[in-house]
Amino acid sequence: MIEVIKVAKIYPPDINALHEISLTVSRGEMCFLTGKSGAGKTTLFKLICNMDQATSGLIEVDGQKMNLLRGRKLSQLRQKIGVAYQDFKLLPKRTAAENIAVSMEVSYKKPQIIRDRVCSLLDQLGLADKYNIPTGELSHGEQQRVTLARAVANFPTLILADEPTGNLDAVTTKRVMRLLSNCNKDGATILIATHDETIFRKSSHRVLEITNGRLKKMTGVPTVP
Amino acid sequence: MSFLFTVLRQLGRNLRQTWGVQIMTLLTVALSVLIFSFSYLVYTNIVHFGDRLSENIRLIVYLDEEPGPELRKQLERKILQFDDVEEINFVSREQAYNRFKAQLGENAAVLDGMPKNFLSPSVEVVPLNTLTHLNRLKDFSDYLSKMGGIQKVQFGQNWVEKFNYTSQLITIIVIASGALLILTTIFIVAHTIRLTILGRHNELELLKLVGATNNYIRAPFLLEGLLQGLLGSSIGLGTLYALFLWVKIHFTTSGFMAIFDFTFLNPWGTVIIILSSILLCTIGSWVTMQRFVKVC
Ligand SMILES: Nc1ncnc2c1ncn2[C@@H]1O[C@H](COP(=O)(O)OP(=O)(O)OP(=O)(O)O)[C@@H](O)[C@H]1O
Ligand SMILES: [Mg+2]
Repeated sequence: MIEVIKVAKIYPPDINALHEISLTVSRGEMCFLTGKSGAGKTTLFKLICNMDQATSGLIEVDGQKMNLLRGRKLSQLRQKIGVAYQDFKLLPKRTAAENIAVSMEVSYKKPQIIRDRVCSLLDQLGLADKYNIPTGELSHGEQQRVTLARAVANFPTLILADEPTGNLDAVTTKRVMRLLSNCNKDGATILIATHDETIFRKSSHRVLEITNGRLKKMTGVPTVP
Repeated sequence: MSFLFTVLRQLGRNLRQTWGVQIMTLLTVALSVLIFSFSYLVYTNIVHFGDRLSENIRLIVYLDEEPGPELRKQLERKILQFDDVEEINFVSREQAYNRFKAQLGENAAVLDGMPKNFLSPSVEVVPLNTLTHLNRLKDFSDYLSKMGGIQKVQFGQNWVEKFNYTSQLITIIVIASGALLILTTIFIVAHTIRLTILGRHNELELLKLVGATNNYIRAPFLLEGLLQGLLGSSIGLGTLYALFLWVKIHFTTSGFMAIFDFTFLNPWGTVIIILSSILLCTIGSWVTMQRFVKVC
């Protein structure tokens, strides 16, 4: 699903965020990306979802070279990648439901289908009563879950979750992880960037560790359900 | 179906968010359409009026002597050298006398005892009935009066000059207000769309990230421009029509204005004004998008 081959990213003037990283994530795999703050996790995500271009190296997602994609092809691929951004990127004046719906609207899903999906997601994440609340009025942890809901709403084949549990208590963290596992069981490939050891310590999934822009350690083997 | 629904919903959100500016834009577009179509309406009425009057315009060239066949040919050639004309009629002393007598009708008796040759022979030149030819009427008459054997040349001099002056002025106003229309619609609409785009910058960025196609992002803005053009021009033309009816009812039923036979723009003119406003507004919004919504 994801092929990252010798990818480097240098932010101007000369901040070397990634040094020739290579990694492969197979279709249907769920794996964790960990590392100190500033190690380069978010940077790697940005390159994979084409928010930013790599300085050198090659990234392929679903068999398509990311640096060559333009226009409609790029839009179509992006509809298949759900990203929960670390900085959320929510629209504060829109309600939680509207924010989640955005990712389904762009692929012209029917309003009824969107409404059902949004309700079900809010329910699973314990936000059922926030349907009509503008996200600007939600707590940090609630916003974080809305972001995740938006990322998974359109049934993407690849989910990138950047710190999905950073501000959450143990119970809510469990809910979030259950949602992600369910998506994974339905066939989605999932990459989770996190500092939170509790969510991957006991799991059987692969854990990749980045240090200073280099892939340091891998534990576990690729597991495809 | 879903595409249309989505586009309309997005349009609704745009309008709701910036309705104040939208209304200002709408009024500006309406006002420029009103100014333009008003001057165009005046122009068409003036041209129409002029056409009817100019059907009766002719240059009358009074001659010293009754021209023989030789001289007639020579005069005809000289006249045609200057300009093509509709027709040239030679009026002999006797014809002039008879015409005069016919005009007097019952009072023809006053002519009794007068010699039949007291009127000068003349040439009637009927110019081609178009504005450019009429504009040269004065030059034409100067030219004719310099030919040999001519007493004087007569036509509704003052009147024609004033009419020409007015119609030229109106033409300039039509052109200027047309340019104004083009500029305001394009720039105002572009400006409004730019405000909408800047106000929704975050949302547009997000839409791109979640995979919105260019059409998805652009269609609502194009539609917004289209709507501005359609509503703006309809309001402008509607106001003009109301104004037109009002003037017609209050002024042309009596008094000197009654000689004017006012007509409104023909349906085609109306349709063309609406269509071009729509086109201009859509261009305005398209241009802005080219600049401010980066394509992925
Ligand atoms: N837009 C940018 N311009 C310049 N430098 C940047 C930019 N984005 C990230 N960096 C730098 O790249 C490095 C990696 O940043 P990145 O956001 O990938 O870290 P991270 O692993 O996600 O950290 P955290 O766990 O705190 O989220 C950092 O040193 C950061 O300063
Ligand atoms: Mg990060």
